Amino acid sequence: MTDTLRLLVPGKPEYVRTVRLAVSSLAGNAGFDIEAVEDIMVAVSEACSNIVCHGIKGSDSAYEVSCEMLADRIIISVVDQAGGYDTGKYKEPQAGALREGGLGIFIIKALMDEVNILSEVGRGTQIQMTKYVSG
Amino acid sequence: MTLTIGSTYIEDKDYWEIKPVGEVDIANAAKLRAALHDSYEKTPANVRLDASDLRYIDSTGLGVIIGAYGRMQENGHAIHIESPKVNVRKLLQVTSLDKIFCPQ
Repeated sequence: MTDTLRLLVPGKPEYVRTVRLAVSSLAGNAGFDIEAVEDIMVAVSEACSNIVCHGIKGSDSAYEVSCEMLADRIIISVVDQAGGYDTGKYKEPQAGALREGGLGIFIIKALMDEVNILSEVGRGTQIQMTKYVSG
Repeated sequence: MTLTIGSTYIEDKDYWEIKPVGEVDIANAAKLRAALHDSYEKTPANVRLDASDLRYIDSTGLGVIIGAYGRMQENGHAIHIESPKVNVRKLLQVTSLDKIFCPQ
């Protein structure tokens, strides 16, 4: 059986922490160890921040966070309808070349087992990430 | 979310001790930016960022530290992050920022 939790989140910075804590609680209950819960929490928070920072325009906009609980993994999707962007233009941070921005996606990819970023210009962006229960 | 930031200039050793207590994320990273900026404007010197009570920091907060470091570096100053908790240390390692901010 698959349980799915969906959150509709106002596109404001102050709600990112709420999502982070909710998803952390969910992952803890699902049997992930402390380090994995922390990874999931950080990754989700980064995905939300990415949307709040680069995607959502206007204070009345919202985005969706959905968490799909399967027997051996959690799949989390963070989806906005904020117009999308050209994913080909994203450049991963290079070691030694310090930049203030661009770390979020890099961190998500480092902490989660699978990450897919789908973005359609004119529509929106979906960051889908999966973490497997170890052992 | 609570975040308090203490800033103390240690005059005899000529460095700033900046101690964020709580969590830094996109909602309050500007507070950390202001603390780093205002201290350095007052007295340009190295910064020791005491992270022993920093429970969480995200890429926005790390970006703030990178930005401050970039400006300080022009004057030959540095930021050292001291005593980070396990989760913060992991983030620094994942991003390779530990090589710059946590030199052994």
